[in-house]
Amino acid sequence: MSENVIEISNLKKYFKDTKALDGVNFNVESGIIFGMLGPNGAGKTTTIETLTGLYKRDDGNVSVLGLDPEKSLKKLQKKIGVQLQSPSLFPRLKVAEILNMFGSFYQDSIKVDQVLNQVGLVEKKEEWVKKLSGGQKHRLAVGLAIISNGDIIFLDEPTTGLDPQARINLWKVIKKLKKQGKTVFLTTHYMDEAEKLCDDLVIIDKGKIIAQGSPESLINEYFKDKIIEFKDVEFDKKFKEEIVETIEHKKISFEEKDDKVLIYSDNIQRSLKSLFQLFENHNLELDDVLIRKATLEDVFLKLTGRVYTDENL
Amino acid sequence: MKIFKEVFIANIKELIRDKSGMFWLIAFPIIFVFIFGLIFTGGSGEQSYTIGLVFEGDSPVNETIERSIRNVPVFNLSTNTRNEEIEALNSGRRELVMIVPEIDTDNIQEYNIEIFYNNERSGSASILISSLKEVFFNIERELTNREEFFNIISKPVQTERLSDFDYILPGILAMAIMQLGLFGSFQFLNLREKKIIRGLGVTPLPRHIILSSEILMRLLISLMQTVLIIFIGRWLFDVQIVSNLFKVFGIVLIGAFAFISLGYMLITFANSMESGRGIVQVVQFPMLFLSGIFFPIEFMPSYVRPVVKILPLTYLGNALREAMVGIPSGVAMSRNLLILAVWSVVTLIITIKFWKWE
Repeated sequence: MSENVIEISNLKKYFKDTKALDGVNFNVESGIIFGMLGPNGAGKTTTIETLTGLYKRDDGNVSVLGLDPEKSLKKLQKKIGVQLQSPSLFPRLKVAEILNMFGSFYQDSIKVDQVLNQVGLVEKKEEWVKKLSGGQKHRLAVGLAIISNGDIIFLDEPTTGLDPQARINLWKVIKKLKKQGKTVFLTTHYMDEAEKLCDDLVIIDKGKIIAQGSPESLINEYFKDKIIEFKDVEFDKKFKEEIVETIEHKKISFEEKDDKVLIYSDNIQRSLKSLFQLFENHNLELDDVLIRKATLEDVFLKLTGRVYTDENL
Repeated sequence: MKIFKEVFIANIKELIRDKSGMFWLIAFPIIFVFIFGLIFTGGSGEQSYTIGLVFEGDSPVNETIERSIRNVPVFNLSTNTRNEEIEALNSGRRELVMIVPEIDTDNIQEYNIEIFYNNERSGSASILISSLKEVFFNIERELTNREEFFNIISKPVQTERLSDFDYILPGILAMAIMQLGLFGSFQFLNLREKKIIRGLGVTPLPRHIILSSEILMRLLISLMQTVLIIFIGRWLFDVQIVSNLFKVFGIVLIGAFAFISLGYMLITFANSMESGRGIVQVVQFPMLFLSGIFFPIEFMPSYVRPVVKILPLTYLGNALREAMVGIPSGVAMSRNLLILAVWSVVTLIITIKFWKWE
């Protein structure tokens, strides 16, 4: 087992009456991509900003690269790169100029051209920052974190607002950082991103860590079952009761919002058989049937009882 | 040091590329110099007065009279019929109109010469009338061959020519320095509001560099403004600069520091860009007119004078006027500078006490 670069125990942070972080515990191993996953307002940004020195904690212990951010902040900041959600971009500087300025803050910074290459902004090198598109600004912000050549790169929702292609490009950048031996600490509210990118992750909700593990282990821990998903074509109450009674299941959930029925089962064959039987008896057709493994969204649903969608974040 | 240099360069680039910022810092004071320069040094050279001359008859003396009046350099003569000249007087195109009756040289007697003038300009008219009297007195003496006893010989002495613009030019520089100090503080508000300051808080950049590089930049701009304003004043409007440039630079730097400090102090009381603008303008606008930088404080009503005596701009204006064009302010130079220094220190202390990075 490799050493921990971040150790957090019982971290608490309050904003007036709101418990932004309510006793958070987790460690981050060196050299991995670590994800913090949760809806908006769960405490992800507060965690990053407490680790990097923007907030003072109200309780608990924090160690980043063996340093306490409250005691040796400047020493720590020389060894990390941070991308915040509100990046510090001077509007009338050119892309290369702002990278150059940030590079001067660090002893062992990466060359500007190399960073431009990594975040795909070579062609925008001479463009004023304020003329960049939202996605380009985002990538520049990631570039400003990378240029530090820090041991840990903190990325706060690096892919929010990016188009799919830009997202995939940024994933490549993040994987490359890992190859270079860096630890990447990222937050996201995209389940698929965490699943595809992260080696280890925590799920945070309302200032508390509700699960930790690799995406794989989390799914295995919470969902050895598979899921049958099909369309709810305005089934009446009686029919729904019949579904629950006749189909082999561990859990059935009717997603009224999405007009979907989810059947969790550890014996998918028997469940399917009874499902087809039921529909045949009623002379109904099954719509949009899908059999799949559980995802992090399902984990979130099971852990919090709330559906994880963008609308109810 | 490397960090300071990079942040300093970034600051300068940010500023130079900001068109409205450059307008206020460079173009605005220069436009002021041009406007005031053209107003107060206009009408090139000597003043002249247009006088209407009407002869009611034909006489050999008429020519003598006309020539004598033309010989007075400030008179601009126009001869026409009575009606035309009176109409010209009524419409303000004549300073006065003089009617000379028919003169019979063979039979010289007493003649009345009528002079019409605008009642509202009786002051200048009375001066003109007395010079005209002098002209006629000479003609009379020529005609009667009378002896002359007194000879007045006027000998002009070269004194330093001071125009109103000499007074104003240092005032414009003082104004430019005030604007630089006060409006310049908006940049920090802007960076704070856009959370750029906060974002830089996760980098190893020491925060004081953000301000110190900005202050250095503004001190340099104040020197640039000084050179520009003095250059234009000297070469285009012929303002004589009496002391050496380095003395002026010294005063400018002390003044610039006082206003930069005041600017930062004012924005410590602002939560947003909007409130910052409001607070600064409430201070800046009255100060501009109550500091005697454009006209002497003696012109102001006595009840505002105590206010004038508090404002730092008064003392920067005093010091610059004395150093640049040699107009004394009635306050010793050392006292002017001391008061500016006190302003710097006091505002700096308040700024440090109430400063908010975020």
